Amino acid sequence: MITRTRASALIFSLAALFTGPSPASEDVTLLKDLTSVIMLLGLPCGQVVSAKRQADNDHIATCKDGNRYRIFVNAEGRVVAQKQ
Amino acid sequence: MISGIRTIGILCFALAAGCAGFKEAPPGATAQPLIVDPSLVGRNLDRAVADEPPRSEAIQEDLAVTPPPAEPRQPVMTGNEAVRLEPLAGPPTPPTELSRSQSAAKAAPPPAKATAKVSASPVAVEQPRKNEGPPPVARRLEPPLDVAALKARLRDTNAIGLFTKLALKNQVDDLLQQFRAHYLSGQKSSVTALRQPYDMLVLKVLALIQDSDPSLARTIAGSREAIWGILADPEKFNSAI
Repeated sequence: MITRTRASALIFSLAALFTGPSPASEDVTLLKDLTSVIMLLGLPCGQVVSAKRQADNDHIATCKDGNRYRIFVNAEGRVVAQKQ
Repeated sequence: MISGIRTIGILCFALAAGCAGFKEAPPGATAQPLIVDPSLVGRNLDRAVADEPPRSEAIQEDLAVTPPPAEPRQPVMTGNEAVRLEPLAGPPTPPTELSRSQSAAKAAPPPAKATAKVSASPVAVEQPRKNEGPPPVARRLEPPLDVAALKARLRDTNAIGLFTKLALKNQVDDLLQQFRAHYLSGQKSSVTALRQPYDMLVLKVLALIQDSDPSLARTIAGSREAIWGILADPEKFNSAI
């Protein structure tokens, strides 16, 4: 019984150690990135709380204060935030 | 039989644990020599040979009595006459009546007192040096960045995401375009009008990276004037950009 418990604990700890970054952490990185972009462009937001991917380099970001922006890279290579 | 072996084992363990708790004194504490104050030998033999606490007291007394030798001492007013205090290493001057008796009393201590002072003074001098600041490695600063190096460092950092890097690059290029337009137009006015957008952009960059990459933020903050020096000089700007 004790051996089985120890083995399962070892398996769980190794699984936790070797698994890659979770989707949640990737979301946090993206939200932080979008927050920085909106701040850099001088638009009111506060903090992006959610984002919905529409295409490559094209997201709809929802801010904490209720503002929503479409953030994308246009044909000239510029990052644009369009208020929705 | 087994209980006896167990008892012996417990006793050995207790003995080993007791030995492990005994710590050796640090090497600095044992290496310091004992100092015998000759002025105390005649008065009290028990106080003459002293360990660490009396030694520090002797140093404190010496520090209190001896002023810095390079600084000339100010005359002290006692009643109507000024008693001039001489620097320790200075040339002798004719003493007054009052100071003659005092100097005779001061000259009385044996020469071993002077050696005691000499042995104590390096310790007193070394102590302030220990608190001068962080070690040289920590104080070393990176050289200021130029525009190309700044772009490269921002491109390589992981502190900001891809969208942010692209937006930042756009804004840097816009600012450089403003400088370029200013120099091509041949305006006589200085570029100080562009200082504010430059400062704003630097502040934005610092706000973005100061939490995630503080070393780069420090480098950029330290390079702020150097980069402005490049941008504000048409020749440097044309050669660098």
